[in-house]
Amino acid sequence: MRWAIYILAVLVAVAIDSSFGGVLKIGDAQPRFLACVVVYAILSAPRAYAVRIAMLAGLLADLLSPTIRPDDSQLVVIGPWTLGFALGALAVLPLRSLLYHRNPISSGFATFVFSLLAAIVFVAVWVLRINLLADESPSWWPGTGASEVWHQSKVAIANGVIAIPTVWLLDRSRGIWGFSTAKRLVHGAARETV
Amino acid sequence: MNGTRFFRIIFSRLTGRRLDWLLAGFALLLAILPARALAPWTGDVARIVVVPIVPLMHLGMVVRDRIRPPRAAFDARAPEVVELEMATERYRTLFEQSRLKSEALDREIAQLKAVRTRLGNSGVQLETASVVGIDPTRREGLVRINAGLRQGVHRDAAVIIHGDILGGIVANDPGEFVSLVKPAQRCSLSVRLYPADGVDAGLNPSAYPGTVLKPIDGGLWIGDIASDVEIREGQIARITDDRFGSVARGMRVGRVRRILPNEQVPLARRVEVEPLAQLIDESTVVVAIDPPETRP
Repeated sequence: MRWAIYILAVLVAVAIDSSFGGVLKIGDAQPRFLACVVVYAILSAPRAYAVRIAMLAGLLADLLSPTIRPDDSQLVVIGPWTLGFALGALAVLPLRSLLYHRNPISSGFATFVFSLLAAIVFVAVWVLRINLLADESPSWWPGTGASEVWHQSKVAIANGVIAIPTVWLLDRSRGIWGFSTAKRLVHGAARETV
Repeated sequence: MNGTRFFRIIFSRLTGRRLDWLLAGFALLLAILPARALAPWTGDVARIVVVPIVPLMHLGMVVRDRIRPPRAAFDARAPEVVELEMATERYRTLFEQSRLKSEALDREIAQLKAVRTRLGNSGVQLETASVVGIDPTRREGLVRINAGLRQGVHRDAAVIIHGDILGGIVANDPGEFVSLVKPAQRCSLSVRLYPADGVDAGLNPSAYPGTVLKPIDGGLWIGDIASDVEIREGQIARITDDRFGSVARGMRVGRVRRILPNEQVPLARRVEVEPLAQLIDESTVVVAIDPPETRP
């Protein structure tokens, strides 16, 4: 896998999310192309890199989603999305064996699972942070963690839907990603990327 | 050399799962750091990271605004905004006007009820009137009310305020629609002085000391009273004569303010009485119109 291409794709996805993405907003659920790119990479990249590439994208998501503090200043907290994306990647990895990962619909389902788990961890980390540091307020304040999980669930569905065309488009550029295409037969029915 | 070897060993061991766990642990550590540890640097890192994507973000915003134009910015000076604000202000004023009017009507009703309760079925007609003009100098305390002959107002009709306080009397022959009212402070009044804390119903009114109050400067009255009579400051003066009709009899007019020795008459004292309310301060009054056959 070519890391430069992945980083470029992630940056483009983040840029689209924070600008053009608003066009696709339905209600308060705005789909995120970043999740689609990450899931596409996880499903195609070597297993060993999966968590790391997800954490890299999560780090970028953390850096670009500051919270507003009571004194109106912004605070960038690194970690909630990073850990969320890591767990999302760990959830998607077993699906590689179950899903035909070049099928956009499979990718849509994987994106939904990834986004949902990432959001749950994101909220959990913030809840932990609030309990440890009483003076902090999360990005969803004055709502509750449960309402944020509900909101993120809607976003996860939107991500799953938007992942279908996005992954199809990304798959058109598969050549430049540098994914290994060598396959080996292992015992049993499953095929695995080397 | 040892350092290089140390890092080589570290990096050779930090691969695969170990590296993932290390990164996750580091991320967790960062996630629970207090704001004072994050604020100095994470914002700057974010600003640096965002630099390469800013042109793309701007392009995306342009495309977004073309596809879904943003709502027009709020202009506080736009004609429709100004019009709405004026309408809001107008309705607020009307509402306040109505509220004040409602309060005034409530007061009038309360006054009428209070006077009607006092009068019973004596045949006296009660008319509410608004004060439409006052003596600008406030020295004489004269007021003009919007009730006149058309409403049955007659000379010396009692003008009542606050339910049972004699505010004044209609001064001269009233006009068709307006009347001039002379305040009670400008009239000589025959009164009795009752205790401020209540009257013993079993006691004859003549048991209470009486005097004739004469107006003096400053809107006060002064009256002579025998030295042997027990009198205290704060006692209430009530009308006892019939000059202002049967309605006015028993109404409150003032309160004993001071008790002074009378140097000219050693067996008497002087009481200084101040009015309980000023007619000139009122906006509405009740005029008690006696039946023609009982008019003084």
